[in-house]
Amino acid sequence: MDPVVLSIWILRLVFLALLYWFLWTVVRILLRDLRAAAREPGAELGRLLVLASPGGEPAVGAAFSLDAVTTLGRDVNNTIVVDDEFASGSHAVLTYRGRAWYVEDLGSTNGTFVNGQPVDGIAAIGFGDELQLGNVRLRLERARR
Amino acid sequence: MTLTAAPRIHPRLRRRELGLLVIAGLALAVGSMTLELTRRLAAGDEVATEPGLPFANPAALAIYLGAVFAAHAILVLTGRRTDEVLLPTVGLLGGISLLLMERLPQDLAGGLGLGTTQLVWLTTSIAVITAIAAFIRSDAWLRLYKYTWAAFGVGLLLLTFVLGREVNGQRLTLAIGPFSGQPSELLKVILVVFLAGYLSENRALLVEQSTRLGPIRLPPLPYLAPMVAMWAIALSVVVFQRDLGAALLFFAVFLLLLYVTTGRASFVALGLVAFAAGGAVLYEIVPHVRTRVDIWLDPFATASGAGYQVVQALHAFARGGILGTGLGAGLPEVGSLPPGGIPALHTDFPLAALGEEMGLIGVMAILGLYLVVIERGLRIAASAADDFRAILAAGLSLVIGVQAFIIAAGVLKLIPLTGITLPFISYGGSSLLTNGLVVGLLIALSDRGVGPPPPPTAQRGLRRVFDRGAA
Amino acid sequence: MTLWSSLGGSAQSNAAREPARRPGIGTTLGRIGLAMSVAFGALAAGAGYWQVFQASELSSAPDDAAVIAASRRVVRGEITDRDGERLAWSVEDENGEPYRVYLSRSLSGVVGYASRTYGTAGLERAFDAELSGVTAADPVQDLLKKFRADPSDPQALRTTLVASLQQAAVGALGDDSGAVVMADPRTGEVLVLASTPIYDASAIADPATSTATFQALAADDVGRPLLPRATQGRYVPGSVFKIVTAIAALGSGAVDATTTFEQQPAAEEDGLLVSGFRIRDGHHPRTGTRALDFIEATEVSCNIWYALAGLETGGDRLVDWAGQLGFGAALPFDLPTAVSQVTGGDGPAPGGFLDDVELANAAFGQGETFVTPLQMALATSAVANDGVIMRPHLALAFSGKAGTTTISPEEWRRVMPARIADQITAAMVEAVNGDLGVGYTTGAQAPGLTVAGKSGTAELGGEGEPNSWFIGFAPADDPQVVIAVVVEHGGRGAARAAPIAGSLLAAWKAWAGQ
Repeated sequence: MDPVVLSIWILRLVFLALLYWFLWTVVRILLRDLRAAAREPGAELGRLLVLASPGGEPAVGAAFSLDAVTTLGRDVNNTIVVDDEFASGSHAVLTYRGRAWYVEDLGSTNGTFVNGQPVDGIAAIGFGDELQLGNVRLRLERARR
Repeated sequence: MTLTAAPRIHPRLRRRELGLLVIAGLALAVGSMTLELTRRLAAGDEVATEPGLPFANPAALAIYLGAVFAAHAILVLTGRRTDEVLLPTVGLLGGISLLLMERLPQDLAGGLGLGTTQLVWLTTSIAVITAIAAFIRSDAWLRLYKYTWAAFGVGLLLLTFVLGREVNGQRLTLAIGPFSGQPSELLKVILVVFLAGYLSENRALLVEQSTRLGPIRLPPLPYLAPMVAMWAIALSVVVFQRDLGAALLFFAVFLLLLYVTTGRASFVALGLVAFAAGGAVLYEIVPHVRTRVDIWLDPFATASGAGYQVVQALHAFARGGILGTGLGAGLPEVGSLPPGGIPALHTDFPLAALGEEMGLIGVMAILGLYLVVIERGLRIAASAADDFRAILAAGLSLVIGVQAFIIAAGVLKLIPLTGITLPFISYGGSSLLTNGLVVGLLIALSDRGVGPPPPPTAQRGLRRVFDRGAA
Repeated sequence: MTLWSSLGGSAQSNAAREPARRPGIGTTLGRIGLAMSVAFGALAAGAGYWQVFQASELSSAPDDAAVIAASRRVVRGEITDRDGERLAWSVEDENGEPYRVYLSRSLSGVVGYASRTYGTAGLERAFDAELSGVTAADPVQDLLKKFRADPSDPQALRTTLVASLQQAAVGALGDDSGAVVMADPRTGEVLVLASTPIYDASAIADPATSTATFQALAADDVGRPLLPRATQGRYVPGSVFKIVTAIAALGSGAVDATTTFEQQPAAEEDGLLVSGFRIRDGHHPRTGTRALDFIEATEVSCNIWYALAGLETGGDRLVDWAGQLGFGAALPFDLPTAVSQVTGGDGPAPGGFLDDVELANAAFGQGETFVTPLQMALATSAVANDGVIMRPHLALAFSGKAGTTTISPEEWRRVMPARIADQITAAMVEAVNGDLGVGYTTGAQAPGLTVAGKSGTAELGGEGEPNSWFIGFAPADDPQVVIAVVVEHGGRGAARAAPIAGSLLAAWKAWAGQ
C-alpha cells in the first residue's frame, strides 16, 4: 500500500474523528447544562406580573420571567423597562438570594412601594406582594413550570 | 440584558469555548493538510521533496483561525456570561466552508477568486458576531420599534423588486454603487424581530382568546391580521421574485413562532393546510413552481435538462459513500472546471460537494453542527428573561436551522429544491453577514448577567426578612 | 394605547387565572427542539439513502460524472467473445491518447461504441464503469481498490458472444433490416445478438472520422442503423406469437393437447364469426373437414384454432401468462430493452383488450401485439428449457488486476411445468419436420439436427410486405440453442426467416462440434 495514500487515509479519518470529538464535547456541555437547570427548580425563579401600566410599557398582563437580578426603571438598559413619567431612569432592582426575594430602591425620585408601603433602601418581598413604581403596579408570583 | 450601572470590564475566562475552538482549529488544520497532500498526489509531485508546509493555503487558514481566536479573546475581555458553544460551532462551519472554497475552481467567483473572497466575508462575519456579542447590551432598539422595522423591511423588498438586478430570472440583488447584496437575507431577520415584538406583546390575547370558525379555532382576528398581512406582502413579493426558498423559510418560521407563543397546535395545522392549498394553487398557476415540483418528483426523467443539477448532486452523494472520497479527491477535479460537474456548486450545492468528499459520516457531522446551533438557540430562548427575548431567540435560531434544513432537504431530494444558501458554508457575502448578525444577537441574548450581587447590609431589611418568609 | 388599557382590564382578569391547559413557552420550545431533531434525523436518513443504499447503482451509471471523466483518461478494458477472440480494444493516436477499435461491423448492434465526443452505446455503455475501471465487478475489490495509489483498474470483459456466428447472422440478413438472437436456454448466455443495418463503430470511435460518420448515421431516418433492433425493435409477430398463446392456453388449462373445435373446419371456408366480425385464416391449411388438435394446428399454423383457443383462455389470462414470459416490462438484460406488449391495454375487455375480436387477432399474433426479437427468444427458451427461463446475459466474466469474476447463470422465471413444455416441443417439431409443416418452414431444417420451431408471417395491414419470422430451438430432444429471426418486410416466414435460421443452426452445429 502506497505510504502517501495511507497517510492521506489516516488524515481523513482523523479529520472526521475530530469533528465528532467536537460534537461530543458540545453534547457533554449541553447535558451538563440541562442537569444544572433541573437541579435548580427551573431557570425561572419567579415571575413579575404587570397589573396596571397606564403608559403601556410594560404591557398589562405581561409576565416577566425573573432571573437572580432584575433591574427596573425608565432607562432602556433595564431588564424591565418601565415607561412611566413617575419612574426614574434606574428605579429599583429585584434580587433573589438565599431563597428569598428582595427589592432595593435605587434612589428614585418618587419612591418604590411594596403593598402600599414605601421601601427605604432594601426590603424583602414575597409571592403575592404588589410592587409599585410610579403608576405601574406589578405583582411577584411563583415560577410557572 | 445586564445591569444598568456602567458595565465594568471584568474579564472572564471562557474555558469551554477555548477548548472547543482548539478542537475546531485542529480539525481544520488536519483538513487543510489532507487537501494539500491530495492535491500534490494528483499533480504527481514527489510529496516528500516539495517545499512548503503541507497545508493548503496556510495564510488563509492562519488568518481565519486568528480572527476566530481574536473574537474569543474579545469576548473574554468584555467578560459577559454568554453562550460558549455558538462561536466555536459557527467557526467550525466557516472553516469547513473555507476548505471547500479553497479546493473548488477559483474562477467560479470574479475578483479575488473564490477562496479569498470567502475568507474576507467570513472574517467580516466573525467580526460582526463579535461586535454584537460583546457590545450590544440592550434590546430596546429591536423591541420598541417593531412597526418601523416592518416598514423598513417591506420598503427594502419593494426597492429590490423595482431596482434590483436580474440574475437567472430572479430579482434578488440590490446594487448600490460597488456593493451588492441580497436583501431577502436581511428581511428574514427583520421578520423575526417584528414577529417577536408583536407576538410577545399580544401573547396573552393570542393564547386565551380565539375566533371560532365552526369547529376550528382561529387566532383572534384583529390581532392576527397585521401579522398575516405583513407576512402575505413579503411572501407574494418573494414569490413574484421567484425566490421560493425564502418564501418557504418565512412561512415556516412564522408558523413555528406562532406555535411557540401560543402553544396551540391547531394554528400550526391550519397553517399547514393553508400552505398545502396555496402550494397546489401555485403549482397550477406558476410554471416555475411546477418545474421545481416535477424535478423533485422525478429528476432522472429530465436528467440532461431541467433535472441535471439534482441528478448530478445525487451522483455526487453516491460517489461519496460512507467515508467520502477524501477532501480534494472528488469531482470536480481540483483546479479545473467541472466536466460533468454541478452548476452553482459553491452557492446552492456545497453540501453535495461535502457529501462526496466527506461521505455520510461527514454529512452527519455537519448536520449535527447545525442541530447544535438550533438547540443552543432554543436553550437560550428557554432561559430568556421575558417573552420578547424568548421568541426573538427562538426565531433567530430557527431562521438558521430551518434554512439549513430546507436547502439540505432540497439537495437530498426530500423536498423540492429551492435556491437558498446553506448558512456559513455557502459562498456569498450577504448570507454570511446576515447569519453573523443572527448568531451575534443570539450570543448577546444569552447574557446571564454578572452573577449574584453581595448580600444586603441594612439591618431593617434583615428583620423584615425574618418577618416575611418568602419563597 | 388607550385601546390597550381598556382591553387591559379583561386581559388582566384573563391572565390572572393560570391558563393551565395551554403549554408555556418552555414546553413549546422543548417540543420545537424535538421536532427539529427529528427533522434533521430525517435528513441524515435521506443522506444515508443516497450514500449507502443507492450508492453503487448511481456511481457506476454511465452518465455519472466520474465515470465519464475516467472513460476519457483511461485505457479501457478489452471486450472479447466467449472463445477469447478480441471484439473491441484500444489503440493510441498520435498524442498518445487512447481510442477504440472494433473487430467487425457485425458487432455494432451489440458491442456498440465508445467515443470521446459521442459517448457510449451498447455493451461499451452498459459496462462503462467496469471497462473504465471506475468500479470493479467484485464489491470487495471495489473497497480494497481505494487503498491503492492508482485505484483505476479497467476490467476486461469476456462476453457470451460467438464472433463467427454473429458475422454469419449479419451476412445472412444481408441488405434487409432485421435481427437475429441466438442463446443457450440452459444458461441464458446470448451467443448472437445481431441487428441490421450495421454501422462502422470503429469509424465513430476514431477521432479523425467520428463526427462525419456519426452525423451521417444519425441523419439516416430510413435505415436507422443506430437502433439495436434485436433488443429495441418492436415488431408485429404474426404466427410466432402462437407459441405464447399455446403457453397461456395449455398452462392455464383452458385447452389441452387434444382439444378440437368443431366449428373450426367450416370456418376455414367461411371465416370465424366473432362478435359480428369474420376472422379468416390467411391460408387454407389443406386439412379438409378434419377438426385439428393442438399439434396439428401448430403444424399448419391454423389461425382459426388459435383464435378459438385464445378466446377460451380469455384476455386477462393471456396477458398474465405473457407477463410471466416478460411481456409488459423491460427485460432483465445487460442492455436496455423495449417493452413487448400483447395489447395496447386501455380497452374495456378483460386484459385490456378492446373486445373479443382484438383478442382473437392477438391470439395469432396480429392486432395490437408488438414484440422484440429478444422477447420471442425468451419465450422460446421457456419451451426449450422445460418451462424455466434463465436470465439472459451477455457478460461472462470480468478480469482485472485483482483476478477474474465470473457471472453465473441465474434462473429468472419458472413459467410452466415440464410436461406442457414437452407438448409444445412436440408441436414445434411437427411444425418444422411434419409433412404439412415443412411447407411453412422451408429451410429451417439443418442437416444432422432435429430442429423444433415456428414460422410467422406478420401482416402489416397494407404497409408493405409482411415481416418474416422464425423462432426455434435445437436439438429438439436436448435443446442447447434457441434462435429468433425477424426480417422486416421479408415476406412469408418460409421466404427469408426460416432459411436464415436453418443456415445459422447448421453453423452453430459446426461451431459447437455437435
